[in-house]
Amino acid sequence: MTFSNLNRRRFLGTSIAATGLTLAAPRIARAADYPDRNISVIIPTREGGGADRNFRAFTSIWKDKLGTDFEPGFFPGASGRVGYEVYMGKNEPDAYSLIFGNMGPEVLNWAVQAPTFDVNDYFYFGQVDKDPGCLFVGAESKLQTLDDVIAEGKKRKLNVGTSRMAHPASIGLLALGEETGAQFNLIPLSGGKNTVAGAVTGEVDFSVLTSGSVIAAGDAVKTLLVFGENVVGEALDDAPSMNSVYGTDLPEMLSARAFGIHKKAADDYPDRMDHLNTTFKATFDDPALLEAYVASKGTPEYLSYGGIDECEAFKNAMLELGAKYKDLLSGA
Amino acid sequence: MNPDKPRRQLGGELVIPVLAIVFTLYFFSTIWNSPWTAQVSAFAVGSILLLVCAMFILRCILSIRSGEGSLGFATLFSREDLATGRIGLLITTVGFCVLIEWLGFTLTTFLFLSISMIILAKGKRPVFIAAVSAAMALGGWAVFIWAFDTRFPRGWFETTMKAVLSNG
Amino acid sequence: MGETSAILVEVFFETLSFWWVIIPTIFLGLIVGGIPGFSAANTIIILMPLTLAMTLQTGLVFMVTLYCSARMGAGIPAILVNIPGTAGAAATPLDGYPMAKQGKGQQALAISFVSSSIGGLLTTLVALATMPILARVGFYMHSVEMIVVMLFGISLIASIASQDMLKGLIAGFLGLMIGSIGTDVVYATPRGTFGFLELYDGVPLIPALVGLFAVSEAFVIIEKRVIVAKEGGAVKGSWTDTFDGVRIALSRWWHIIWTSIIGLIIGVIPGAGASIASFVAYQQSRSFSKTPELYGSGHPEGLIAPESANNGVTSGTLVPLLVLGIPGGATAAIMLVVMQFHGVSFGPSLFESQPKIGYGMFMAMAVAYLLMFFTILPLSRYMSHVTTVPTIYLAPMIISFTLVGGFVPREYMFDMYLALGFGLLGYIARRTGYHVAAILIGIILGPLLERYFLLALKKSDGDISTLFSSNLGNVLWVGLVLSLVLPIYFGRRRKQKVIPT
Repeated sequence: MTFSNLNRRRFLGTSIAATGLTLAAPRIARAADYPDRNISVIIPTREGGGADRNFRAFTSIWKDKLGTDFEPGFFPGASGRVGYEVYMGKNEPDAYSLIFGNMGPEVLNWAVQAPTFDVNDYFYFGQVDKDPGCLFVGAESKLQTLDDVIAEGKKRKLNVGTSRMAHPASIGLLALGEETGAQFNLIPLSGGKNTVAGAVTGEVDFSVLTSGSVIAAGDAVKTLLVFGENVVGEALDDAPSMNSVYGTDLPEMLSARAFGIHKKAADDYPDRMDHLNTTFKATFDDPALLEAYVASKGTPEYLSYGGIDECEAFKNAMLELGAKYKDLLSGA
Repeated sequence: MNPDKPRRQLGGELVIPVLAIVFTLYFFSTIWNSPWTAQVSAFAVGSILLLVCAMFILRCILSIRSGEGSLGFATLFSREDLATGRIGLLITTVGFCVLIEWLGFTLTTFLFLSISMIILAKGKRPVFIAAVSAAMALGGWAVFIWAFDTRFPRGWFETTMKAVLSNG
Repeated sequence: MGETSAILVEVFFETLSFWWVIIPTIFLGLIVGGIPGFSAANTIIILMPLTLAMTLQTGLVFMVTLYCSARMGAGIPAILVNIPGTAGAAATPLDGYPMAKQGKGQQALAISFVSSSIGGLLTTLVALATMPILARVGFYMHSVEMIVVMLFGISLIASIASQDMLKGLIAGFLGLMIGSIGTDVVYATPRGTFGFLELYDGVPLIPALVGLFAVSEAFVIIEKRVIVAKEGGAVKGSWTDTFDGVRIALSRWWHIIWTSIIGLIIGVIPGAGASIASFVAYQQSRSFSKTPELYGSGHPEGLIAPESANNGVTSGTLVPLLVLGIPGGATAAIMLVVMQFHGVSFGPSLFESQPKIGYGMFMAMAVAYLLMFFTILPLSRYMSHVTTVPTIYLAPMIISFTLVGGFVPREYMFDMYLALGFGLLGYIARRTGYHVAAILIGIILGPLLERYFLLALKKSDGDISTLFSSNLGNVLWVGLVLSLVLPIYFGRRRKQKVIPT
């Protein structure tokens, strides 16, 4: 009854009308005019989170290069799905609307549960930062070294906290299990905060998580292994990388924030796309970006430029990994 | 039994159990092919819900057969509802949710408050009502749109105010 | 020890000198706490640029005060017009609103303010004194133990349902079923979502809360001229009622103490929160009461329990934040972000490296509760006049206020429709004799119970005996059974004592 006269499409329409009323009037603009109004950016996570912080720091520099301001709209929910569906379903593909997503967990999600749109109808064109997953124990855990973990994992199945099943860090752990023969049981603890708490309080034997949240947990936890390069050193307890310990050749298990855009927008307005690309790159070349990152207490070591090709490769790698581990991640 | 005693109006009481049964069956249909983690507690809770609903329906059937209850809906709807303006209030409430998308937050709030108050007051003191509604709507605008910049639908009032504020 | 006391005294006076931050913040907190959906966490996020611009100590005092006063503010509409603005205040209207309807709104507010501030102040001091021990609670309360804690709260359904057990159970289990909507905890399979992405994360609590309680109530109260049952003269509007409320609350000081301790302990457990604490405290209070039948009809103890408990949670969430570096709840998580911005790193070493920050947060809380007591209490006299506003004006205001509140936390239009839907469900339930509170307990606690249940099962690879695998868990199971059985036993004995004479 209450639900029958509502459907998602209509709801989404309304939400967009709310954020982007100024964008409603379609007009024909030449490249010279672009951008002649603010660019709206959908962020598929909660306001005040890590994405919000990085977005503000990055766009504070980018807006000067681009010559217009950015208006973020936060659409959390369903692990980012709501934001993407709003972006793909309702926002005009006119290069005045972008999405600021995470190419790691969010793309991995598509492999496990396909969205309603075609994943090739949008692409990421600018990677802002990358943050490798890592394995860590609580400060008081009995398992204090990587050897402890592997040895114990061969004796019994260890319970391992993760923020959710379809997450690059979870895949890193599965790969570690395959490599060493240790037995792991992934326990999704819903979110970084709970994943840290789970390892610290002993709800699980240890946890895997994006390293940014682990750094934030300070000396309550101890990092043992990084599923990628440890570029921050001591902040992650000088933990070694998976590939260096086991001689494996795994891709980095990253969380990577990037700006994405409708494919149609890039096709219809190549000059606008060009403008976005060049200014995005110029932002990285500006030393002020680093300052902005340091000022916002981000981890400046994780700032890492990636263009269309790098992003496309990343997205495809995630889709492949997701397809490979789909059964384990979805319980099918 | 006492013939003067009014029969218990069971029709109304059955609405919630029937909704519960329909919802539970729908819920089950969505998890039929899901992993066990999605099923275990939903099946447990759902089965108990179906069981208690079935027991309740059985109790109702028994009491109807014994003549103590009837399938009436008097507890839920009555002529009173029209007279008290309850139906009117319901219509304005639904209207509020629908119109806010078109007219924007402030104007819709004003219209909703004034129309429903006038319905409930049976047309008395319209000027006072309009003033109260305007004050409330403007207060809401000041808090939600102007101060906290929430994503409420913007209508012509909000756009006009934005233009006025940015120019003045 | 002497050194610590010296620091404490110094920090206390330093915090007092921030009265000019604390007092305005108290009023801001009352307002944002009173608007459904706003909450302290959201407000701190919205005001983040301002918070970050403050000095460390000012920001700290500001956030802590806002946190406490928003918690207290949420109780005001819950009592006066049946709108619990946050899940933590969901148990407050159970007895608070009936009191308001009986014309005792002013007493109810005074009771709520006194038990909130005393409960908050007391648990802050207890937390300060026992922090190292208290922080360990989270190390023992894992998913298995939490299942039992949830059941304490959920068993309230049975108590509420006692008049017509079958209908009560239907309401409660319908709530649990609605609470199961959303993706499953482990593999994120969507369930019962009617295809709405907005329901993937489960039913959002605020729309359900305001819909079931407030919107449905608005449609009911229009039958009467004003909320207060005895027409005319019931609200005296003098100081007497406030003093009366204070007296009622203070005479039940023991009740305030133990229910706030329940809140403190639950607050310390990461991930648990005010909603669980207030329901568990209410259930415990009712179980051990000599007059359980009075609960739900405007019994002061039924108001004291959730209010002191949810303020106990406030101090509790600071403990794991400060001692372990793990935030106990949403607001604490944001405090963590702000503190990190100022270069404070939480964790076991905080009290050695920056003891003034650690103690300062508790001191700020204690001072905030102290000042709140004196600034808010006098207001109860004026606030209670809401109940004398004619319902023809009040009902539309409640509806627009709550639908808007349903929208605010996630800013989805969908949530507004959802609040309306729950309003209709609540109205049908009220008119046909089903308890909306039972539905609501299911919606709030059901997902939490399922989460802990599935984590426990996933950890044991599906072995159900894991539920009885922990010693502490088993003690809690026994406690749960006793708290359900003993009241029945005592109730019978009381009756027997009365009848033979």
